[in-house]
Order: sequence, then C-alpha cells, then structure tokens
Amino acid sequence: MVSLDYVAVQTINALFYSSILFLVASGLSLIYGIMRILNLAHGAFYMVGAYLAYTVIILWASGSTLYFLVAPLVALAALAALGVGVERGLIRPLYGKPEELQLLATYALILVFDDLVKMLWGAEYKSFTVLAGGSLRIGRFTVPHYFVAVILVGFAVAGLLWLVFSKTMLGKQMRATAHNPEIAAALGVNTDRVFVAAFALGAALAGLAGAVAAPILTAYPGMGTEIIVLSFAVIVIGGMGSITGSLVGSLIVGFARTLMAATYPIMEIALIYIIMAAVLLVKPVGLFGREERERR
Amino acid sequence: MRVRLEDVWVRLGGIDVLKSVSLEVGDGVSVALVGRNGAGKTTTLRTIMGILKPYRGRVEVAVDGRTYEASRMKPYHVAALGIGYVPQGRMIFPDLTVEENLEVARGGPVPEDLLEWIYSIMPELKKIRGRLGIHLSGGEQQMLAVARALVRNPRILLLDEPLEGLAPKIVASLTQALAEIRDSGVSLLITESGNLKRVRKLVDKAYGIDRGEIIYEGDPHKMLEDPVARRRIWGL
Repeated sequence: MVSLDYVAVQTINALFYSSILFLVASGLSLIYGIMRILNLAHGAFYMVGAYLAYTVIILWASGSTLYFLVAPLVALAALAALGVGVERGLIRPLYGKPEELQLLATYALILVFDDLVKMLWGAEYKSFTVLAGGSLRIGRFTVPHYFVAVILVGFAVAGLLWLVFSKTMLGKQMRATAHNPEIAAALGVNTDRVFVAAFALGAALAGLAGAVAAPILTAYPGMGTEIIVLSFAVIVIGGMGSITGSLVGSLIVGFARTLMAATYPIMEIALIYIIMAAVLLVKPVGLFGREERERR
Repeated sequence: MRVRLEDVWVRLGGIDVLKSVSLEVGDGVSVALVGRNGAGKTTTLRTIMGILKPYRGRVEVAVDGRTYEASRMKPYHVAALGIGYVPQGRMIFPDLTVEENLEVARGGPVPEDLLEWIYSIMPELKKIRGRLGIHLSGGEQQMLAVARALVRNPRILLLDEPLEGLAPKIVASLTQALAEIRDSGVSLLITESGNLKRVRKLVDKAYGIDRGEIIYEGDPHKMLEDPVARRRIWGL
C-alpha cells in the first residue's frame, strides 16, 4: 500500500527534477524558437554553471546559507556573458549557412568545455551536498528545504519569462523575430540584438540550472550531455520554441521519470522516449508547438 | 528623401534575377513597378531594404543632404532612414495583437497622435486593435501591414502588391488610404502584377519590369500603349 506521505515526497522529487529540466529546456527552446539554432552546447553551459557554483562554495564558507543566493547569481551572470561571447564569436558568422555547420560548431563547443572543465577542476565528481536551510518533515520522511526552493525558482522563472515575452518590448521583438526575422529586421527591429539577447538569456538559464542542480546531482564532466538528451525529449514533447511547452514537457518528463524510478526502474528512461514517440506520431510539432515559420 | 537604384544586379541560386535595374522613387514622386509574377518586383524591394545584396551596382538613399549606400547596410538601419516596408503576403506577426505589431515596428509605444492619424486613415484598425494577427481577415492584415510600415514616420513607403487578393470593396478603401498617405508627403513605390489601372491614379510614374530588366519607364497613363510593355508584360 502506497502511503500518502510517500506520494507527497515523490511529488516533490518529481517537481524538483522538472524544475531543473525546465530551466535547461526553456533556454534551449527559446534559442531554437528565435534563432533556429539547435544549440548542442546548451548542456555544456549547464555544466559550466554547476562548476562555477562548486567554485563559489569552495571559495565561500561551505554550508553558508548565502551560498544559495550567491552561486546561482554568479552562474547566471557568467553564463549570460559567455552566451554573448559565443553568439558573437561562433554563432553569428554561421547565420544563413547550412545547419550542419551550426551543429558541428556547437558540438565542438561541448568537447572544448568538457576538456576545459577537466583541466580546471579535474575529472572526478564534485560532490558538495551542503543542505543549508534545514528540511521539511512529511510523515515518515524529510525533504530538504532546498528542494522546495529549487521548485519555487523553476516556477518563478516560468512566470518571469511569461512577463518578459508578454509585457516587455524586447519580449515582443523576440516573438516577432521568432516568427519572421527577415521581416522584423526590414521593419526596423534590430534582430542582431534580439539574437544575442536570446542566446545570452538561454545560456544564463542553463547556467542557473547547473548551479541549483549541482548540490543535489553533483558536478561532473559529461553531466551536460545527460541533461541535454532529456531536454530534447522535453522540447520535442512540449513543442520547439514554446515556453509553455517546455514547462508542460518538463513536468511530463519529470513525473514520468520519478514514477518509473519508484515503481519499475528498468523503464525509467524508456517511458520518456515512448511518450516522446507517441507525441511525435500524434502531433509532430509537439503539444504546444507551432507549424514551421515561413522559410526565406 | 530619395531612393535610387543604379545598375543593380542581384543573383539568387546562380541566376541573375535583377539585371542592371535602375530606378528612382522619392522627393514627392511616387512610382509603380509593374511586371508579371517572377519578373523581379519583390527582389527589387528586398534589395532596397538591404535584405538582398547586389553583386554589382548600388542602392543609394539620399536623406537630409546625406547619401547612404543601402546595399551595404543592415535592413533595420535602412528602415531607420525612413523607409517603410509592406511585404508581399502581409507577413503580420500572428501571435502579436494589432497594437503589438505596431509597437514592435516602432520599437516602443507608438505616439498617440501618430496612432490617431493612422486610425483616421484606416478606421477599421481601431476596432480590432486588441485582436491577434492570426485572427485578422486578409483586408485587415493588409491594413495592419500598411499601418505597421507607417509607425516610424517614413518618407518613402515600399508596398509589395498591396491590393493582391483583396475584395473589390477593400481594394477601394485601401486605395483611398494610400492616396491619403501619399498626400501627406510620403512617396510610394507600389508593385503590381497586372492590373495597372488600379494603381495608376496613385503614382506619377511607372516602371515595367520583365525577367529582371526594366523595360518601360515613363507616364503610367501611356504604359498600356507602349508596344514593348504590352508584349512583355501583358502578352498583347
């Protein structure tokens, strides 16, 4: 018999995992939606965010509650800056070129960042499970407050993204550019600025995700590849380019994985891809996806 | 303000789609660019906007005593010089409202008096200001496309087949709106695929284009009598 407190704890686990996935997948999806760039290096950004968080906590007093404020902000800002650099230096020269060049370039970035991380931090796992802030008692179980905080961060980011896209000029310009960059530019929208902003925002979200995930999931080279594969499943299910789709897709993947891990672990990953395949068969653009925009 | 194309050659997919095109619009002179589908009308407008780059020749924009080479500029810089663009097929942003479409083109809130002027020319738009682009009829979309090109106070307006595929009643009211825009001091460059008569009264001059070459330049009212234009554009 499954008890209620067990269900509650598993729900929090699922929401925690969904929250991390959403932060990664929403950035991946918005970069694709606006720029039509499939950024394979997005997982590498997540990894760099995790290692930056680790460094902050090593430099900072370990276990300090302040860590939870500082590390994610450092990762967010550093990855936004890195995003600007990568867009300017690597992605921008490839606009209008064949897509395989973008894939190769962003794949190359994964290799570069994986090796950089090994050079700077070493190849071993960096575990720093410092659960400051106490924990929550649910029946027979305890859940760290940290899990709840990460869930709140996920929902807060979803709300903020909604605000940015519906209320700000940059957000509206992003939506216009997502639909037709050529026409947006010919109407006066500085699409180069929109592209760099989108890429930086996506990278910053990935960095934030890495920073908040690292204390629970540890930091290790290759962690980016693991998350990026699941993030692709999220945005295929939710629909490429849709933030709502990323949110719903993350919840579906997060809950499916937690449910399987608790009941039938051998199917933990398989179920996700079964759902993905089913969505592709029934609605190829994803649950909240739009038809492909006009090609020039 | 004046836009001048001088010996412009544009190649797409290995084929010359504009061959030594020269034309002028602006300083109060409105023009029509008439040609069949595929003749090079849209390519001409896209080249003026800086979307396509000529491999020979140049596009110059003269404004306030300065001359810019549009063929070396980004489209958003060309637009900022004061050129409004109404693309073929309207290309309304479907998930933005009517007013958001206008704001995005302006890069901020549209000044109230400008908005009122636009609504006075096209009153239909005011009633649907909060509606999403995807829910507009063809005529409403075309009016929005024109309005969207007006929010930066352009002095030249490029209109790519603005009357195509619209009901006669809407063609009439849109033609009236375009006449008002022209009378306010904006020079028009209107492309038209066949029906010269419906744009003739809006322009001072007509160009005929066929297979990327300008084959007629002159009085729009005499174009239908020109033997070359008759043969190459209307197959008469």
